[in-house]
Amino acid sequence: MIRKDAVEIICKKIENDIIVSANGFISRDVFSSLEKNTNFYMIGSMGLASSIGLGIALKKPKNRIFVFDGDGNILMNLGSLVTIGTLKPKNLVHIIFDNKMHESTGGQPTQAKKINISEIARSTNYTIFSVKTKQSLEKILNKIQTVKGPILVHVLVEKSKNKSSRVNLNPEIIASRFMNALKN
Amino acid sequence: MNEKIQRKIFQYFQKNKIENFVGVPDSTLKYFIDEGLQNKKILIANKEEEAIGIGAGMILAGSPTVMFMQNAGFANSISTITSLIQLYEIPMIFLIGWRGYLKNDAPEHEKIGRIQPELLKNLELENKILTDKTWEKGCKWALSKMKKNIPVALIIRREFLD
Repeated sequence: MIRKDAVEIICKKIENDIIVSANGFISRDVFSSLEKNTNFYMIGSMGLASSIGLGIALKKPKNRIFVFDGDGNILMNLGSLVTIGTLKPKNLVHIIFDNKMHESTGGQPTQAKKINISEIARSTNYTIFSVKTKQSLEKILNKIQTVKGPILVHVLVEKSKNKSSRVNLNPEIIASRFMNALKN
Repeated sequence: MNEKIQRKIFQYFQKNKIENFVGVPDSTLKYFIDEGLQNKKILIANKEEEAIGIGAGMILAGSPTVMFMQNAGFANSISTITSLIQLYEIPMIFLIGWRGYLKNDAPEHEKIGRIQPELLKNLELENKILTDKTWEKGCKWALSKMKKNIPVALIIRREFLD
């Protein structure tokens, strides 16, 4: 399974839930799969998608928050797993697309090749699901609807030849429409 | 800055609808942080960038937030400030303890403390120094900037050695 297919499957399932997406190809895939006001496309500040998602989850306990993260991103901010695991937001679903590389910068390897990100998250109080195929991803997405967070869906993906187009929205607009949408 | 004023600064922000205080501890700000801990309003992150990410999320969710950190940790976060806070115009208030303000502070603070004013200037982050006399004016100014979606920094100098 490639990341874009996985992103599309998840987007189809979650529809109106809040999404915070990591920089690089992940945000691009979300932008082309399910563009909406309640998406926060983090185009810079690599590593921080899960922290931003945590801040939102703590303040919007009635909403479900999906963080679309990558292996390179979370490895830059492993402390975030600790903070999330300490505060245990029930409404946070942390999806990590793990291709074991920095695909956006040319496919250089990450250290996810040598360690298992799921095992790190398990020791910080996450409930873990690991998937490799489209069928198992769909099954898990149904299952997590009744599971309390923090949840990690560790999605193992392969490198892809296609890339989605850039997020062509002004960052101020991304933030202001997101804030307005969350007011309601 | 003395203990009483630091506690007053926390109370002032709380009274003015700041709902969260997120950051990494700093000895210059210890009474401010202690006041926040007593009021159960403090969230301590592992690193300043992480704290800024959490604070940004809270602000995006409509909940006003003040960050607290040492100038060394602030310097860690430069790229986060430019590519998240300033880029998206997230109205965040930074409260920064300034180590290395005194020339004979500990050696690890000397250089970063010396370049602190220049760093803020180059970042184009509007800022004011809070003193025992000017703190209320400075905090009021920061809150007015927040309402205009402008991130700002408030600086507290470390004026003692230990």
